[in-house]
Formats: sequence, structure tokens, C-alpha cells
Amino acid sequence: MALLTEQDNITAVGKIRTVRSRNFALTVPALLLLVVFFILPVVALLLRSVMEPELGLDNYRALLGSTTYLKIFLNTFSVSALVTVVTLAIGFPVAWALAIMPSRWASIVFAILLLSMWTNLLTRTYAWMVLLQRTGVINKTLMGLGLISEPLPLVNNLVGVTIGMTYIMLPFIILPLYGVIRKIDPAILQAAALCGATRWQALTRILIPLATPGMVSGALMVFVMSLGYFVTPALLGGTANMMLAELIAQFVQSLVNWGMGGAAALVLLVVTLTLYAVQLRLFGTARMEGR
Amino acid sequence: MTKTFIIAAITATLGLSTAATAADLVFTSWGGTTQDAQKAAWADPFTSETGINVVQDGPTDYGKLKAMVEAGSVTWDVVDVEGDYAVQAGKAGMLEKLDFSVIDKSKLDPRFLTDYSVGSFYYSFVIGCNKDAVSACPKTWADLFDSTKFPGKRTFYKWSAPGVIEAALLADGVAPDKLYPLDLDRAFKKLDSIKADIIWWTGGAQSQQLLASAEAPFGSFWNGRLTALAETGVTVETSWDQNITAADALVVPKGTKNKEAAMKFIAAATSADAQANMAVSTGYAPINLDSSAIMDEKLRMSLPDMQSASQVNADMDYWAANRDAIGERWYAWQAK
Repeated sequence: MALLTEQDNITAVGKIRTVRSRNFALTVPALLLLVVFFILPVVALLLRSVMEPELGLDNYRALLGSTTYLKIFLNTFSVSALVTVVTLAIGFPVAWALAIMPSRWASIVFAILLLSMWTNLLTRTYAWMVLLQRTGVINKTLMGLGLISEPLPLVNNLVGVTIGMTYIMLPFIILPLYGVIRKIDPAILQAAALCGATRWQALTRILIPLATPGMVSGALMVFVMSLGYFVTPALLGGTANMMLAELIAQFVQSLVNWGMGGAAALVLLVVTLTLYAVQLRLFGTARMEGR
Repeated sequence: MTKTFIIAAITATLGLSTAATAADLVFTSWGGTTQDAQKAAWADPFTSETGINVVQDGPTDYGKLKAMVEAGSVTWDVVDVEGDYAVQAGKAGMLEKLDFSVIDKSKLDPRFLTDYSVGSFYYSFVIGCNKDAVSACPKTWADLFDSTKFPGKRTFYKWSAPGVIEAALLADGVAPDKLYPLDLDRAFKKLDSIKADIIWWTGGAQSQQLLASAEAPFGSFWNGRLTALAETGVTVETSWDQNITAADALVVPKGTKNKEAAMKFIAAATSADAQANMAVSTGYAPINLDSSAIMDEKLRMSLPDMQSASQVNADMDYWAANRDAIGERWYAWQAK
């Protein structure tokens, strides 16, 4: 190392620079695609939200000043939070079981998870509609067993939205959690048991803290994805639990009021980016990937 | 400057979406069984007669239509839209004036005729009921809005459009000739009384599914969808009492490159034969006054324009003028 000359150093730095700029060149097509199909339309939308019907912040004032729209914002957040909590509660045991299961079994469970992800979203949502409706399989079975006398209201309401969205979001929490839990050394849990920890203590004081990065990154991803969800709430929910994406679609397609549509879309975008920034701040990209 | 920029951005996002070549005519409608019927009754005969290929696109989306017209990149040549939208969009400069030297308007139902649009087909909102699922079927709008006499879920059209508000007012005892201008406060108050029991349908296929599965054993439907459902073996009862009529319209977006072919297509689609064939396969009524004479008598009697004794016509001009204001209030009420 001591023999390394100043000249060598400079060439090495130069090489890194060329590699870097070559890498950058590779990203140009992707960046161009993003600029043309994502950034330009977003800017156009922003301009519309302050220009239509006339220049000013009227659209934002109307949007944030109305109790109806505020209720939709609130609803969007509470539904997303609910879905995140339920997804986490179901996803954690599944991820844990996957991590300690014999790999042959685990690959079967993975296949099921991935197959569900590859099936068309609309098909899956309609399937839930058929299962959950008053005359659906679930209600018919429960009534046949004599457990209920009146069909349970499982669809066209919050219950339907939560079930449908949780089902769709599950893989997004199970996969990162699985990655994190698998890397936890089983010896640590054995050591805890040897030191006299109960199973509950091992779970709450060792497993959960160690899995926290995976839980947080999965939960944030689910939460952020839920905020912009459209198809599932539109089909499985009633109008009383309308979410923001549906409101935007209404402004754009039915009312043809693009100023308001743009304003609502921008509010959603800002909230989402803020959450993403918080996530990066707290956990950084490396820990998000469960490394 | 900024406007050009917006337009450029929108053109960029829309530009890649069309597959039709310049010589083809693009017809856009709402999909499902209705568009299938339009293709069979209008487009296919038109193609064999003129050699102009008709490409089917859809569903109709007013947002997309506006984007195309503003960006000057119109890929839809003839569009099936709701009647009140046609009146409004014509006034807003979104549509081409129709060429009535090509389209013979003397035979067309004058109720659905403007400088920018002709009727497409004519339908009624009627009360439909799945007879196997309930002991008694609602016969009037007042029945449908009475959840004590008729408990259970009922289904209505979700979007802000002529139909549901009129039904609420009729149910509340407003006389048909006193409906307009609509008393929105009164209508929403009446709607409030059954809001918890309403399941909204967003499209014709969903309305059929809700009724057939008895998820909502009764409600307000497009008459043609009930005809189609009855043919599949579901025991459907239809009440025509105070059926509320509205019509779809055919329009040509401003700036289309196929204007001449579009006019020819509309002329063909509104001809007596084409309208009669469309009515036979959908259960909607023809808007060509000569179609009746060439149709089967029995079928003729089942169409909405034969139910005129107890019919209420939705006022398209009123709706066109108030569409935006009603729409905003409607969606705000739904979300409440």
C-alpha cells in the first residue's frame, strides 16, 4: 500500500469517475421515460390546479375548506391505517412461520402468495364481491350452520374494503418481513430460552424488536400504497367510505373539473412524498431493504 | 406559453393510445351488451356498405374526450354520450356541428335533437324487482322509497345523472309536470330517508348482478337491462309506473380528422332499419320515427316509448344547464 504513488491514486479516482458517468448514462433512458410520462404530466396537473377555472388558489381553498372533502381525506387515512394494522397482524405470524418452516413447505406457501399477486386485481376484487355479498358463500354457509339468522353486511362498507385491501396488501408485508426474520440467528432465541425467558418474553423482547425494521418498512409501503388505492374501495366499499383516489376520478371523469382533480391529486402526492421522506430519514434505503 | 406546455404534456400522454389508422372510423360507447348491439346493428352493416372500417373503443370518458379536444389530437370520431352531457358539451364548444344534409333529421325524435347531437337510443329508468327473492314487489317510486313497507337493500344509479333525483321527488309526491326546476333540498331529504339501504350500481352489468343475486332485490334500472336479465331466466318484475325517460346521444368531438365519415356513420346509425335492429336486441326504444312500422308488434309493445301513459321525461336542457352544480352536490351528499 505504501508503494501506491500519487499517480496511481489519480488514475484510480479517474476510473471510478468514468464508471460512475457510464452508470449514469445507463439510467438516461429510464430518467427520460420518467420525465416524459410522469414528471411533465404532474407539472401540467399542478398548473391546471392553480389555473382552472381562473388563476389562484381557489381550488385548494374549496378542497381544504369543505367538510365533505376533509371527511374523504380523513377517511383515506383511517382506512389506510386500518388496512396497515390488519395486514401487519396477519402478515407477521405468516412471515415468521415461513421463516422457520421446512423449505419445501415454505416454497409452496410462497407459490400461493405469488400466484395471488399475479392474478388480475379486478378479478380478485370481483371474487371477493361474490364471496362477501348477502347471498354469497360466506353468508350462506354461516346461515346454513345456524350461526346467524340474518346475512352479515360484509360488502359495500368498511368491512368489505378492509378485507379486500388487506388481502391485496399481504404479500407486500410478508415478503420484507420474511427477509428480516430469516436473518435473525435462531441461536439468539435459544439463548433467551436458556436464560429463562418465557416464550412471550422471547417474542416481545427479542423477535419483535429485531424484526422492527422489516415491519416498519412493510407497514409504510402498505400505508402509502393504500392511500392511492382506487379499484378495491370503489367496488367493495359504499359511497360513505369514499377514498381520495375515487374523488379524483370523479373530478376528472364525471364532473370534468380538472382544476379540482389536479388539486386533490397534488395533495395526495405531497402527503405520500412526505411519508416517504420520513421513512428514508428514519431508516435509510439499506435498512428498508432489510439488510 | 404554459398552455402550449400543458397541451404538449397531454398530447404526449395520449398520443400513443390509438391503434386505428386514419382511414378507420373510431366509435366509442359504454361497452357491454349495449355496445355489442351497436356494433351489430350499426357498425357492421355500415362497414359492408361503405367499406369504412369501424374500430370499437370505450368506455366513454368525458375527461378523455376533453383532453383530446384540447390537445387537438382527437382519436374518437363518433361517441355515445348521455343526453344532458351532449347539450352541455355542444354549448361549451367541444363538439362538431352535425351536417344535416347528410343526416336526415326529419325522421328523428325531435326531443333528442340539437345542432350538435342526435339521439342514440332511448331508455327508461324503471322499477325492477326479483320476484323470487321477496314476498311483495314495489310498484311505485313511493314504494321503492318506503323502507318500512319494503325493507331491505335497494339499488340506484351511482353517477350524477337524470333519474334518481326525479324518482325521489316523484316518491315524495311532486307532480310530474312540476318537477323542474328540481327541488334539490327536498330530493336529498327524501334520499336521506333510505340512504343506509342504498347499494349503488355503477354500470348495467353490475345492476343485473345485484338484482339476480338478490343482493338488492329491487331498485331503479335501465329498462333494457331488465329485458336482458329476464331472458336469462331470472323472474323479473318491471313496473313502468312513472318511468323516467332519458336518451343517449351521438356526438362528434371537435377536431376529428374523419368528420365526413362520422356524419355518414351517424346517418346510418339513426336510419329506421339500424334503429329497429338495435331496439330488437337491447329492449331500448328507437329514436327514428319510422322504425316502429318495421318492427315486430309484440316486441314493439315492450319498449319504453309504448309506456308513454305513465311516462315522465327528464328535462335535458335543465340538466345541461345545472349538470355541474347538481353533480358537486350529489357526490358530496353520497360521501357524507
